[in-house]
Amino acid sequence: MSLFFTIAVVVLIFLIIFQIAKAAEYVAVLKGEQKSNRQQNKINAFLMISFLVLGLIGVYWSNELFYSKTVMPIGAASDHGEKYDQMFTWTIIITGIVFFVTQILLFWFAYRYQHNDNRKVYFFPHNNTLELIWTVVPAIALTVLVVIGLRNWFAMTSAAPKNAMEVEVVGKQFGWLYRYPGRDHKFGQTFYRVIDDGANNPLGQIWRDSAALNLHADPANFDDVMPTTLYLVKNRPVKMIINSRDVVHDVGLIHFRMKMDAVPGIPTTIWFTPTLTTKEMQEKTGNPNFQYEITCDQMCGNGHYSMRGVIVVVTQAEFDAWLSQQKPNYYAAFPEKDPANKVQVATPPTNPNTGDTSRLRGTSGNPVGNSPNLK
Amino acid sequence: MSNEAILQTGVGGAHTAGVHEEHHEHHHHETFITKYIFSQDHKMIAKQFLITGMVWAVIGGAMSLLFRWQLGYPNEPLPMWVQDILGKWWVKDGHITPEAYYALVTTHGTVLIFFVLTAGLSGTFANLLIPLQVGARDMASPLMNMLSYWFFFTASIVMLSSMFVETGPFSGGWTAYPPLSALGDASPGSKTGMDLWLIAMALFVVSQLLAGLNYISTVLNMRTKGMSMTRLPLTIWGLFFTAILGVLSFPVLFSGFILLIFDRNFGTSFYLSDIFISGVGPLPHEGGSPILYQHLFWFLGHPEVYIIILPAMGIVSEIMSINARKPIFGYMAMVGSLFAIAVLSFLVWAHHMFVSGLNPFLGSIFVLLTLLIAVPSAIKVFNWLTTLWRGNIRFTPAMLFAIGFVSIFISGGLTGIFLGNSALDIHLHDTYFVIAHFHLVMGVAAMFGMFAGVYHWYPKMYGRYMNNTLAYIHFWLTMIGAYLIFWPMHYQGFAGMPRRYYDYTPWVSFDHFEGLNRFMSTVAIIVFSVQILFLFNFFYSIWKGRKVRTQNPWGANTLEWTTPIKPGHGNWTGEIPEVHRWPYDYGKDNREFIPQTTPVGADENIH
Amino acid sequence: MSVQRADSNRLHPHKFTLWVAIGSIIMMFAALTSAYIVRHAQQNWLEFEMPKVFWYSTVVIIISSITIHLSLKAFRARERLRYRMLLGITALLGVLFAILQGFGFYDLYSRGIQIIGDGSNPSASFLGIITGLHVVHVLGGVVALLIFFIRAYSTRIKTYDSTPQEILSVYWHFVDILWIYLFIFFHLAG
Repeated sequence: MSLFFTIAVVVLIFLIIFQIAKAAEYVAVLKGEQKSNRQQNKINAFLMISFLVLGLIGVYWSNELFYSKTVMPIGAASDHGEKYDQMFTWTIIITGIVFFVTQILLFWFAYRYQHNDNRKVYFFPHNNTLELIWTVVPAIALTVLVVIGLRNWFAMTSAAPKNAMEVEVVGKQFGWLYRYPGRDHKFGQTFYRVIDDGANNPLGQIWRDSAALNLHADPANFDDVMPTTLYLVKNRPVKMIINSRDVVHDVGLIHFRMKMDAVPGIPTTIWFTPTLTTKEMQEKTGNPNFQYEITCDQMCGNGHYSMRGVIVVVTQAEFDAWLSQQKPNYYAAFPEKDPANKVQVATPPTNPNTGDTSRLRGTSGNPVGNSPNLK
Repeated sequence: MSNEAILQTGVGGAHTAGVHEEHHEHHHHETFITKYIFSQDHKMIAKQFLITGMVWAVIGGAMSLLFRWQLGYPNEPLPMWVQDILGKWWVKDGHITPEAYYALVTTHGTVLIFFVLTAGLSGTFANLLIPLQVGARDMASPLMNMLSYWFFFTASIVMLSSMFVETGPFSGGWTAYPPLSALGDASPGSKTGMDLWLIAMALFVVSQLLAGLNYISTVLNMRTKGMSMTRLPLTIWGLFFTAILGVLSFPVLFSGFILLIFDRNFGTSFYLSDIFISGVGPLPHEGGSPILYQHLFWFLGHPEVYIIILPAMGIVSEIMSINARKPIFGYMAMVGSLFAIAVLSFLVWAHHMFVSGLNPFLGSIFVLLTLLIAVPSAIKVFNWLTTLWRGNIRFTPAMLFAIGFVSIFISGGLTGIFLGNSALDIHLHDTYFVIAHFHLVMGVAAMFGMFAGVYHWYPKMYGRYMNNTLAYIHFWLTMIGAYLIFWPMHYQGFAGMPRRYYDYTPWVSFDHFEGLNRFMSTVAIIVFSVQILFLFNFFYSIWKGRKVRTQNPWGANTLEWTTPIKPGHGNWTGEIPEVHRWPYDYGKDNREFIPQTTPVGADENIH
Repeated sequence: MSVQRADSNRLHPHKFTLWVAIGSIIMMFAALTSAYIVRHAQQNWLEFEMPKVFWYSTVVIIISSITIHLSLKAFRARERLRYRMLLGITALLGVLFAILQGFGFYDLYSRGIQIIGDGSNPSASFLGIITGLHVVHVLGGVVALLIFFIRAYSTRIKTYDSTPQEILSVYWHFVDILWIYLFIFFHLAG
């Protein structure tokens, strides 16, 4: 019922508009085209100037309404981010000036030079001086922006400092995997064919030999930690090694003003220094639920919107306490190796086909996949 | 692809050799089919492109309303009749499903960019205006021209049919990045839907190549006597550079697609490497690079942006000069900046890939080249402003859209300076800021160019006028609506809100934009219905519009207004007129306008 | 403003169209060969020897270029029979070229180098796709040749305008040069 009502109303509105438009055309013919054109011209010129005035008010108003909802007034939470925000401000100022000048001129000219029977137009086909001015001035303004931009760009993409903490962030459909190198500060090698979600090996850490795949177990893997939340340390540079398991993803860190694609087969890196802990941010924003979030910014499938990751920034002391409680992923996959598990589990006989089975099918809970084949 | 081209030239040879002689007073005996369907008359082909483009614009626009509904009213079910139309695959529990959402987003992008703003815009106006404004009876090869439309039409049918396959249409974004687009296991839309998408796009590329070849050789070879290159109207310059961009960049996209097709269907590894799909296992592909596709894609993808905007720039320049009754300011600078933009557009593609792990040094070069494009764009804007200055402006509907174009182009263009500067791009990349940027500068601006062109050349196309009052309502509501939708969207970008999200409610950082989203979606629905008003005006006026009674209703200088009010195939009944001057002698020597066909007087100042 | 050009000096529009189309085809192969170079610079690239038979196909296509040139000359000299014969020979050589390329692929296959399918290496896939696309262009030319050949039998059409023949021969020379470029490219880059 409401459907017919809506359609009826819409059709009615269309009909009314159409009738008015049609009538206006007849009136124009009766009045004489010249006269009605003049009238329409006046109306449109007036609308031009009104649009300018209302538009400028609208620009101000929308800024009042929405600026506070962006991440800009909070300020950035990383050193790169602070530079970013400065550059952002400068660019806003420069483009803002151009915006206001050109828009005001455009609509003002439209209003000021509306048709008038007595005006003689100024035959002005070209003027080299003017054209030179507006080639050179934008060029200079852009040079300034490019210089600021490239200085920041090279700072942001430079090599990470030596003391940077390293973490690996891997995207998959649809979630993020994190890995810390553990006590040896070395990431163990991974190979995508030994990935096995069911056997606690979502990254394909190589922790047993496989003749079929020509792999050797990498002991650096044994202490690698894979928590479900990413912890970072305030004022300590962090280098993220970004990878993807399946399709292209993108690590987006809005409060740190950082972003980098996760490309399968081609690892990428970014680094930055968080400057505010999560707690400090919660106070600063006045939002007790505040979280640093990792967004996925590259279309990666139907669950793209749900690829949410959480980062917690803490002090070094808190971090150390947290890390000491994390169990290496290796122990989750092989509980019998965990020194905390006093009960000795008998090692099942090694199965030479292990590597091959996981290569053919990444079956979850592969029963033979539990047998370690260490050197 | 280009084999057809050579074949047609071979076959068409005998045909067109005749065209030159037989066309004077003579009309072919035309049946309904040769006149309206398989027509070789450039004017009819232009109308075919325009109307097909309109159909796609309505479909693509309606799709945007569906996903805007999801964003603006995430808790309210779609109206029942919409649910009934869409059916089960698209709607579950009254809401668009995520699969459908991504399919809609993808198809909206593909269709609007390629089918509406490339085929619909340059297909229409290149076909209509090139022969009429350079003074030719038809295109260099009318047969190829006709084939170009029918390839486009077939592409349309294939694209449309992909909406109805069981696994759904392609849903990996209009850029179709592999591995997502290559692996049916990663996304159901990448199964049959993607096959059809690729076939449609391949056909479309063929259509654009056939068309582009024709446009270029017509402009260069078929100009009438006296029509030197520097006497060409700016519309022709815009369309000419567009055609060159298309002919040089579409083959590259085609190569990229060929490799993608082999990766999808024949087990090669150009783009694929080290992939493990949950629930499927590791894939055999090794040694490919997804980045390679991005390079090949954006080598077309960026020129494509200018393929869309250059014709609009040309149309706007022409209309602005005519209706300000004043010559376009800085004709040579306008041509030069078009040329600069065309050349630079080939050298900036990697600015779409600043965060793809591109070498930072390489990135910095692309920053430089990208921001260089702002200079010719700035020249164009200031030249348009100076054209208005001390003019005598008639606000015809076309002129309104031309002025609107400049305003929107400024607003959307300036934000390009943010995105072209790699350091600033980091935070804004793939957020709503980008959406706002390209919808303004390339979507709305190009649409405005198209509307301006339609209103302006409607009398030439159909021998009637469109209704002015409806046109004014159309313009003002669209102008206001465009700003209301896309201006606040920049703020969502500042907030880092990623594009292509089905649902923002789980996110702490983005769930406070509900009100704004609802507002934008509502305005979008209103603006869309205003476009229906335009369509109604268009089709109604074909039969019932006020008749054009003078040959040159706008008092314009260019050649198309020297043809009969309703020109037949061949355009001019007698000899093709000779050209004696540039097309912008408005307000010169106290004369309101001096058509190009008027010989230069003895005492006249030579411009 | 510049001086107007006389109409007679202009290139025939169809010929011009062909040149633009050639530019377009060049862009396609340029894209593929630069993708080849980019990929070649990365790891995991299978090195293998080009099939020997490609040398023969190169000779064949060069000869076909000569025959089409002679056929054009014959057409201009209005030697209908010679024109027809040379046209036919060119078409046959084109087909022979395609067959020889097929033998080349078979040679790779028999050496265990896969162009497509599991275990294929991009180096072989690139070779296959690029030469394959070239063969498609050659076959397109063969179809055009056949159309001309059949037309040459028709007694109804009596035209002495050689433009279509010139266009065809330019295209044929182009695919010839394109092959030589690809042949050298694969030897240098591969």
